[in-house]
Amino acid sequence: MTFAQGPVVWALVVVALVAVGAVLRARAINVKLRRNHAELRQERDALLHQRDELHVVHNTLLQRQSAELAEVRKDAEEETKAVLKAAVRTLQGLADEQQVVIEKAQRKYGDDPGILADLMAMDHANSQFGRRAQGIAVLCGGWLGRRETVASVFDVARSAQGRIRHFDRVRVNGQVNFSVVSRAVEPVAVVLAELLANATNYSAPGTPVEINIQAVPTGVCLIVDDAGLGMGQEEKDRAAALLSPQAAISVSSLGIPPQFGFAVSGMLAARYGFRVSVDSVSPYGGVRAVVLIPDELLTTEAPPAAAPAEAPEAALSPAPQVRQPDQWQARAQSQPQHPAQAPAPTPLFPPTPQPDTATQPLAQITTTAGGLPKRRRKSPVSAVPSAEPEPVRSNEETASRLGAFQRGTRSGRDTTTTEGPEFQ
Amino acid sequence: MTAPGEEQQVSSGFVRSYVITGGRGLPDAEDLSLVTLVTLAPESQPPPNPSPEVKAIWELCSGGYLSVAEVAGHLGLPVGVARLLLQDLHQQGHLLRRKAPPPAQLVDRKILEEVLHGLQVRFG
Repeated sequence: MTFAQGPVVWALVVVALVAVGAVLRARAINVKLRRNHAELRQERDALLHQRDELHVVHNTLLQRQSAELAEVRKDAEEETKAVLKAAVRTLQGLADEQQVVIEKAQRKYGDDPGILADLMAMDHANSQFGRRAQGIAVLCGGWLGRRETVASVFDVARSAQGRIRHFDRVRVNGQVNFSVVSRAVEPVAVVLAELLANATNYSAPGTPVEINIQAVPTGVCLIVDDAGLGMGQEEKDRAAALLSPQAAISVSSLGIPPQFGFAVSGMLAARYGFRVSVDSVSPYGGVRAVVLIPDELLTTEAPPAAAPAEAPEAALSPAPQVRQPDQWQARAQSQPQHPAQAPAPTPLFPPTPQPDTATQPLAQITTTAGGLPKRRRKSPVSAVPSAEPEPVRSNEETASRLGAFQRGTRSGRDTTTTEGPEFQ
Repeated sequence: MTAPGEEQQVSSGFVRSYVITGGRGLPDAEDLSLVTLVTLAPESQPPPNPSPEVKAIWELCSGGYLSVAEVAGHLGLPVGVARLLLQDLHQQGHLLRRKAPPPAQLVDRKILEEVLHGLQVRFG
């Protein structure tokens, strides 16, 4: 039995040993695997970390690239604008120069209706050209050109009217006793011209476009109404964005053909401090555009009266000087009813230059800046220059002669008596 | 952006002449010649809302007869433009006009001397 039990025991022992061996081996493998696993995990973590780092680097590089791209684009845009601005500046100057030449020609040949009409057509084309050049200049950050004097709101509206193609469809209503300060004269005129151009281009030919001038508590409103189709919401939004620009407008974003109107208006309004809006509907169904000129850009100063073109550039001398024209003026004012006491006659067209009276209201002018006398009905003046000293005459003789002369000139100039052959 | 000092000065006229005429056709030169005299008709009332040019003509011509050329000179406008405005006022009955009086003719000095001589011989 012991023997019989022996092999079983041994077999059991062997099995047990094998089992122990297997367990130990498994444990060893397990430990090794664990170690491998830990190593792999570590490696993976390191790689993950590296990946994150690379991600960050990638992002920064992307950012830098886009920033640099934007900068390059901005530089390119600025360079383009600078070149364009310089080129357009020349064009602006030339347009202005040409305008002056045309104006002079208009005065010179103004007596011939045919020539004057042609000159006006040239003037009209040139004005539109000048406005376009001004628009491009503004978009490129350039300037419009500065006016020296204030201009009445009415004249600003009429000046704007002259800068568009269909000026004859525009009517200006209402006058206020305000002028626009000199630095804002051109900007307001250009903005109004762009609004008028839009109004006439986007309404049926032949329909009127109205400018109404209205004083409001905060300034003066110029209201442009057209009878067109109006604008959709999308167009209104685009216009509103352009009219209150947050950043410089890219020239390339204006499309082909470029639509500057609102972009130019927005930039000028922001730069000079007035407001432009196009979001209301006109009573005729089209667009109502409103330019609000604030009090800061308005003045009660009257614009200077029109000066003759060939006015000599005499210095303004307020002190009365002993000159023949001044004598004439003084006599005309102080002694209109006493021709008998009139001293030596003076030439009707004195050759000496006059003090510049162009800045005075017209009512006070008795001689023009060009030296021409403003004639008055009851101030007879002999046109014969006194080459020699006056002959000695008795008082009665002088009185009767001058009285006869006065009667003669009166009857000659009287409107109530017989009129000339051309009177109708 | 340019500095304000760099801004160019605009020297051309502000309101264009074709805006003042409203783009209408210009009258013939013979209609109102340069030397035609014009003046306001007595007791005429200015039109409602006159343009600055019409206002200026009103003030100029209320003082007596002025020639068309003088009116244009005072207004600083081409003669054709002033002529159109004057024609408007004339058609509205605000303006009287007539041709300039013919220039005085100098009598021959010799004739005067002969007359004087004759008078002296007879009465002197």
